[in-house]
Amino acid sequence: MAETLLAASTISRRFGRVIALEPIDLELRSGEAVALVGPNGAGKSTLMAILAGALKASGGRLSVTGSAKVGWLPQRPAHYGRLTALENLVLFARLEQMKGPEHEAEQMLERFSLPSDRLSAYLSIGNRQRLSLAIALLGNPNVLLLDEPTASLDPKQRALLWREAQRHIEDGGAVLFSSQNIEEVERHATRVIALDSGRLVFGGSPEEYTVWEREP
Amino acid sequence: MRTLRDAALLTRKDLVSLRRAPLVLILLACYPLLIAGLVGTVAGYANSRPRVAIVDLDQIPPKVEVAGHTYDLKDMIDEVAKNVRISWLTKAQAAQALRTGEVVGVITIPDGFINQLKSVASSPEVQFETSQGGISSRVTQQMQALIYNLNRKLQEAYLEDAIGYISVIRNGGTADFLGSDYKVLGINKARSLLAADKKNPDAAKVVRFLDTAEGALRATEVSAHAVAQPIKLATATRNGRGWLLSAQMQAYALALTISILALALGAAVTASERDENVACLLGRGLVSRVSLLAAKVALATIISLAVGTVILLAFGVIVEVGDIAGGQPWQRIPLVLLGVVLFGAALGAIGTLIGALAREGRSATLGALLVALPIVLLGLIPREIAPPAGYVSDIFPFSHGERFFSSALYDRHPWATIGPEALWLLGLLVLWAAVARLAQPRLTEA
Repeated sequence: MAETLLAASTISRRFGRVIALEPIDLELRSGEAVALVGPNGAGKSTLMAILAGALKASGGRLSVTGSAKVGWLPQRPAHYGRLTALENLVLFARLEQMKGPEHEAEQMLERFSLPSDRLSAYLSIGNRQRLSLAIALLGNPNVLLLDEPTASLDPKQRALLWREAQRHIEDGGAVLFSSQNIEEVERHATRVIALDSGRLVFGGSPEEYTVWEREP
Repeated sequence: MRTLRDAALLTRKDLVSLRRAPLVLILLACYPLLIAGLVGTVAGYANSRPRVAIVDLDQIPPKVEVAGHTYDLKDMIDEVAKNVRISWLTKAQAAQALRTGEVVGVITIPDGFINQLKSVASSPEVQFETSQGGISSRVTQQMQALIYNLNRKLQEAYLEDAIGYISVIRNGGTADFLGSDYKVLGINKARSLLAADKKNPDAAKVVRFLDTAEGALRATEVSAHAVAQPIKLATATRNGRGWLLSAQMQAYALALTISILALALGAAVTASERDENVACLLGRGLVSRVSLLAAKVALATIISLAVGTVILLAFGVIVEVGDIAGGQPWQRIPLVLLGVVLFGAALGAIGTLIGALAREGRSATLGALLVALPIVLLGLIPREIAPPAGYVSDIFPFSHGERFFSSALYDRHPWATIGPEALWLLGLLVLWAAVARLAQPRLTEA
């Protein structure tokens, strides 16, 4: 059985009196790609942020196995606009305490075909999203959390992103991605979790989800 | 160790970002300087002469004769009223002007004033009313100075008159007393007459008495000259510093510029972490919250130090080129810059707090400006005028910084002032950094 890399037990989140996420159990195992689906406001980004450690859960427990690391691609690009892609990567590699940060950054730059000399603020939305993904992959995380990663990408860039995600899974990592695109979910997910109004309403295979989703 | 290293990395990143936005940097430096100039101008006007009304119920004539001298009292009042602007108004006009704040005080010259002044029987009174504003004590002092100056002029005349009488008693002649002329023989002539009268055996005794009396009167005459002005104040205007180059102005320019700069910068760069969606990445354990806070405070400190140095150099060059008396105290500049470091850091901590609380960069910058102005204005109110403003101002760095800079620049023995003020600034840095640290989750949580 594949190793559990990340486990969440009855985690929940409230914003004042509003319940954003009801208690949810979730496990991410090595080699799987889990799709997180649901309408806007379902609680997908809240769950992602809690799993990424960027938002404190109001209740429940989150555990990351052994030496597992979590990389996170937020819904909106996250990097410094007045630094070039290379400078961003070098900075985050240093903050990740990687050995040879300049070398790591240059490798990422090449891997994601990013221009080295332009300020990130002037990059296309696709390049900015790729830069954010490159930053998320610094430090070689085992678990990759992708929050609607392809929402603003053209088909070519989507293919590039999924190639990187697939590579990560083949290396023994796990991917949790949120998406509104059913075709993408069916093609790339090994498991599907559906949320609605902060509640877990479905958990199963992509095929089961397709059937469930068509039910009235 | 990692905390410091991460803080240094983030500070360096912010400096690179700032270098790539020179317009922002120029605006950040120029705007506070502009405000400093405007506040300086307003503060200069605060030193200008307040307007005071005089109500003349006695209908003072153009010329008044007192103690044998003719005075133009209105001219005299205008002449001695150097620190106030005089308006001659009717009673009703003056009351209205005092109510509306057009004048800050009203002097009323009562009916019968001149007659009482001429009679010398008792001192006539003038009434002074003032508003309850913050400068009323200052205006009262200026009115006291005005009455003092008038009294001095009249006193000189009375004494001159008295000395004239003494001279007549000693040497003889004609004296005018209460409107009548009297012919006086004089002690000296009386003594000569008695001395010539060899037949009268008591004449010698009277001559001895007259000798004593004449000596006493001569001494009185000398004393009267001295009593007229026991201490004389010799005033000379030299080529000293004007208000614009004064120590206080330099201290204000530094404190004001750095206040706005450090607050706005601390707030803007903190909020920009959220704007660029990076705060949540950093906050998930990549960087400690203390590192993030320290980075922003360090940036505000570095920029404050740079701008503070430029301001001091600019003032110094103007002072040296203009050959201003005293020159710029160059040897004190490192001491001032030590204060700038503490001051910029404490304000940077407040700016970081504002940046963490604000929703985004523009709100943070606006919030910083909205906070900066009251902090500065509170610090400008003299503690003697409004003690509560002084107590509130104490929990913000402005007044401490201003006193530190002023003392470090020009006090002969500055340590008595800058020691406590440095401790205040250090304490405020710790206080505001602790409060900003409490607000950090608001910034870093997704």
